[in-house]
Amino acid sequence: MIRTNVPQSVRTASALVGVAGLFVLAGCSGAADAETDKGAGTDSSSSSSDSGSGTYADGTYTADGSYQTPETVESISVTLTLADGKVTDVEVTGDPQAPETEEYQSKFIDGIADEVVGVALDDLKVSRVSGSSLTSGGFNAAVESIKEQAAS
Amino acid sequence: MAIWRFDAIGTRWEIEGDLDGSDRSAVSEVIERFDREWSRFRDDSAVTRLGSVGGVLESADAAPMLDAYAALSSATAGAVNPLVGASLEALGYDAAYTLAAGAALAAPAAWSEVVAWNHQGLTASAPALIDVGALGKGRLVDLVFSALARVPGDLVVDAGGDMRVRGSSVRTALEHPFDATKAIGVVELQDAALCGSAINRRAWGDGLHHVLDARTGRPVRTWAATWALGAQAMRADAIATALFFDGGPALAADWGVEWVRMATDGKVERSAGWTGQLFTTRP
Repeated sequence: MIRTNVPQSVRTASALVGVAGLFVLAGCSGAADAETDKGAGTDSSSSSSDSGSGTYADGTYTADGSYQTPETVESISVTLTLADGKVTDVEVTGDPQAPETEEYQSKFIDGIADEVVGVALDDLKVSRVSGSSLTSGGFNAAVESIKEQAAS
Repeated sequence: MAIWRFDAIGTRWEIEGDLDGSDRSAVSEVIERFDREWSRFRDDSAVTRLGSVGGVLESADAAPMLDAYAALSSATAGAVNPLVGASLEALGYDAAYTLAAGAALAAPAAWSEVVAWNHQGLTASAPALIDVGALGKGRLVDLVFSALARVPGDLVVDAGGDMRVRGSSVRTALEHPFDATKAIGVVELQDAALCGSAINRRAWGDGLHHVLDARTGRPVRTWAATWALGAQAMRADAIATALFFDGGPALAADWGVEWVRMATDGKVERSAGWTGQLFTTRP
């Protein structure tokens, strides 16, 4: 049973997979008796409260998951290697920072994924600049204070 | 033309136009009233009182702003929420600027059950910390702009980069979010409002800035900067916030607001009707 024998490396991976919300072990070795855990809890796979009576066939298992973040749909792939009922290797692939590529298809959006090239303001004849709102007084002072504390 | 500069509501204002003393007084009054009602950073504001004891906040701004919040909340599936105040405080962006981040705190999803509003004001049935950061500055720009309706000729009301102009065209740069000496584009503004939002200022630590997803209480990370151009500053400001999330572009189309947004990896997107210039690898 995976849950009882997880070494630290798996716990770490489990936290990542937990984010995926849907963790389905798909056995590469055919009808593997890998447990299907559909729990969406963020650390359900790292729980060690279950009994250790189950067994798994040795081999390599891969799980793919996708999940909706506030801003993106992310995908992730996890590969586990089992030997003697213990996880010996874990590999997590995916790019959790990927922009929401699906969104580019939206009818409301034009200009697909052009890369910005900044131009110096001094070279532009502009009378105004818009960006993040300029900050004043208190906030800037507070940030400076934190930097000083961090440096000391 | 004369430029009047001052600091208010935590930012630097510039008002360009032929203002006289009574115009300036009118502007100061409008800003002071708005701040006294809606500033989360004042001990004596109505919003601060609602945050501690709930109750009634009388303001003609309540209905326009909360109506817009309802649209934003719906369009972004709850990512924008007027009760995000406590989430910002949890990350340290509080009235005292402690800037000490604790655990992220999601805003109450059922915010519209806590807050009710009509043309006279709003009522919080329980203590609820309202933060109108998604559109409040735009609302105030509109109020100041209206207060200056009788000023003749050209007029620019610029609240730290969120602005509304009347008369001659104003050529405006879109500031690069990672390099304030550069622009990623320019746009001509004529009888229009332009509001921008970005994660580079009002940031106080690794990944900590003021644009939060209310559903998680965590700062956003996909989009680095957004700009929205419309007839009114409040709606442009609201869209600039919504563009950090899925659903922003659809609401912009609904409201007739044009926009640009830049991802943290340097990619930009724009609305189909965006007329300004963008400096990109494929211009």
